[in-house]
Amino acid sequence: MLEIKNLHAGFDGTEILKGISLSINKGETHAVMGPNGSGKSTLAKILSGHPSYQVTSGEVLFDGKNLLEMEAEDRSIAGIFMGFQYPVEVPGVNNAEFLRMAYNARKVKAGEEEVDPLDFDDLLSEKMKTLGMENKYKERNLNDGFSGGEKKKNEILQMAILEPKLSILDETDSGLDIDALRVVSEGVNKLSNENNSLILITHYQRLLDYIKPDFVHVLSKGKIVKSGDKSLALELESQGYDWVTTEN
Amino acid sequence: MSDTLVETSAESAFLDLHKKLSSSEGSALAKLRGVALNQFELLRFPHSKHEMFTYLNTKGLAETAFSLADAPATVSQDFVASHIYPGCENQYLVFVDGVFNENLSQVEGLSVSLMPLSKAIKDSKLNAYLSETAKNENDAFAALSTAFCSEGLVCKVDDNTQVSGTLQVLFVSTGKESGPVMHAPRLIWQLGKLSEVKVIEKFVGIEGGYFINAVQDWLLAEGAGVTFTQVQADPFDSWHFSKTRIHLNRNSRFASTNASSGTQLARHHYDVRLKEEGAELRLNGVSVLDGKEQVHNFIRIHHEAPQCTSHQHFKNIINGQARSSFDGTVIVNQGAQLTSSNQLINNLMLSNDCHADNKPNLMIFADDVKCTHGATIGQIDENQWFYLQTRGLSAKIAKELLTRSFAKSIIQTIEFPEVINELNGTLLKKLEARNV
Repeated sequence: MLEIKNLHAGFDGTEILKGISLSINKGETHAVMGPNGSGKSTLAKILSGHPSYQVTSGEVLFDGKNLLEMEAEDRSIAGIFMGFQYPVEVPGVNNAEFLRMAYNARKVKAGEEEVDPLDFDDLLSEKMKTLGMENKYKERNLNDGFSGGEKKKNEILQMAILEPKLSILDETDSGLDIDALRVVSEGVNKLSNENNSLILITHYQRLLDYIKPDFVHVLSKGKIVKSGDKSLALELESQGYDWVTTEN
Repeated sequence: MSDTLVETSAESAFLDLHKKLSSSEGSALAKLRGVALNQFELLRFPHSKHEMFTYLNTKGLAETAFSLADAPATVSQDFVASHIYPGCENQYLVFVDGVFNENLSQVEGLSVSLMPLSKAIKDSKLNAYLSETAKNENDAFAALSTAFCSEGLVCKVDDNTQVSGTLQVLFVSTGKESGPVMHAPRLIWQLGKLSEVKVIEKFVGIEGGYFINAVQDWLLAEGAGVTFTQVQADPFDSWHFSKTRIHLNRNSRFASTNASSGTQLARHHYDVRLKEEGAELRLNGVSVLDGKEQVHNFIRIHHEAPQCTSHQHFKNIINGQARSSFDGTVIVNQGAQLTSSNQLINNLMLSNDCHADNKPNLMIFADDVKCTHGATIGQIDENQWFYLQTRGLSAKIAKELLTRSFAKSIIQTIEFPEVINELNGTLLKKLEARNV
């Protein structure tokens, strides 16, 4: 589904990713872990098409297409979802209305008819029920005044509505208390199936207690220095990042 | 006094024009016009550094050779109907080229008594008020408006009367192919004790090239309440100036929202006096400007009594080479303790060539008050823009959504859904058309 080949990228002339290669197949969950400043979030931003980050060399294919040539909105419509570490507050934009616009953007691109507000409300209610979310999320403005946990839940709601093929969750666990972490993780698990894939970017192992990865990659100084199964995360937890960064 | 002044040709032209104004000499209204003309001669057209006109250039307007409408213009009922908001069909007042037109208006059963200014001015109290304000006028254009007011309308709501539904006032300017014409509509609202009225005013033009120079007075007695919405929708090639005086007595409330689409030069001047305890003012405004459109707000709020509240929030969306300005001062007089006042101006700049000036100002002469003021100028937030795009919205749609959301907090304060719908459909549409 996603093929990253020797990706070099950076920000403002500084190279941050120094040759990343990663292959993600349908139905797989990959955890990308690493110390602060290792390039985890840069990888997420590059994949989602952030204009401030530049790719200097390498290739990223999504379903066989060159992802790097696509605009952010086209990546989203093609099936990539980016769950932000710090979801942006957008005052004045109603959450339900925004979700309908995002949902309909896909419909329009697919040559299908747009869904009207009433029908969309049924869909939204159903998804919110599945995720155990209260109705207040519909009425409020997009992330405006939301707590950290509410913002992350709202990201998962967007993921549920947009039904992406590949979700990249950037430090979804950061700033969450244990209850919020459980709710968010349960939501992610409910949405996972054999047809979609997940990249979990995280600093801490605790997220992986709730969302079980098939593969764990350790990123250090812009390179993947170790890959393994979920036991790697446990080992990292007990030995610290120094264990892999000094070993390599 | 006037003969000690050296007049410019522009001022002389207006003085000559005034001589053509037909009037019954000696009438109270003619006297009022005379007082206003003297005041205009004293004030003269503002020079470029005049403190009340710091951010706009009135030279082109002052130097335009205006004429006065010779005869009442005809406007079709259909045109009027197309600008009457749903819900106001049974009660509306129409002004054509600055003059009240009863035939085009719908006033049957209206619980507001209407009287021509020439008749109402015979009331000594009103006469004294008008003479006093004309003598003390500090705005040359408002003085000019009174000097050229051929007739005005006094709208009176009796004590304890709640006007049912919403009353619309439509100002239609026909525009003239023969050259620029100045209109000087004058409206005076007198609200009795504990009376209530909801008013929507809309300014439209059939053709451009005119100068609408409106003055209105809102005089609220104890406990009166007004919900006021103004929609300025004149064509670009017109000039729109207005002065709105608001006098608030004990426990009266005035809530106003102005939505402006701008013209080649539009200026709104508000002069508010919170005269007695417990008075409340809310003054909001939103302008959506593109091309070379301009809207300038000049506001003076005088807290003259304790325990009064004033809230101002203005937002401008500025694109192309458009310009906006806000020059607002809240003056808290000595003794106006426990005043609560805030003033905020937000500007969203969508192009490199647009221009916004802001001067929020506070003058406080009391020591137990709560006052805030501030202004922001910004562009589309790149992070918000990117966030929306990652959800599949195109760059254009995402920008539109952010632009709309910026204006939304003001537009939503309008009590009338029909006006909100219209503003969403027209004001903001023009930004979409320009591929904002």
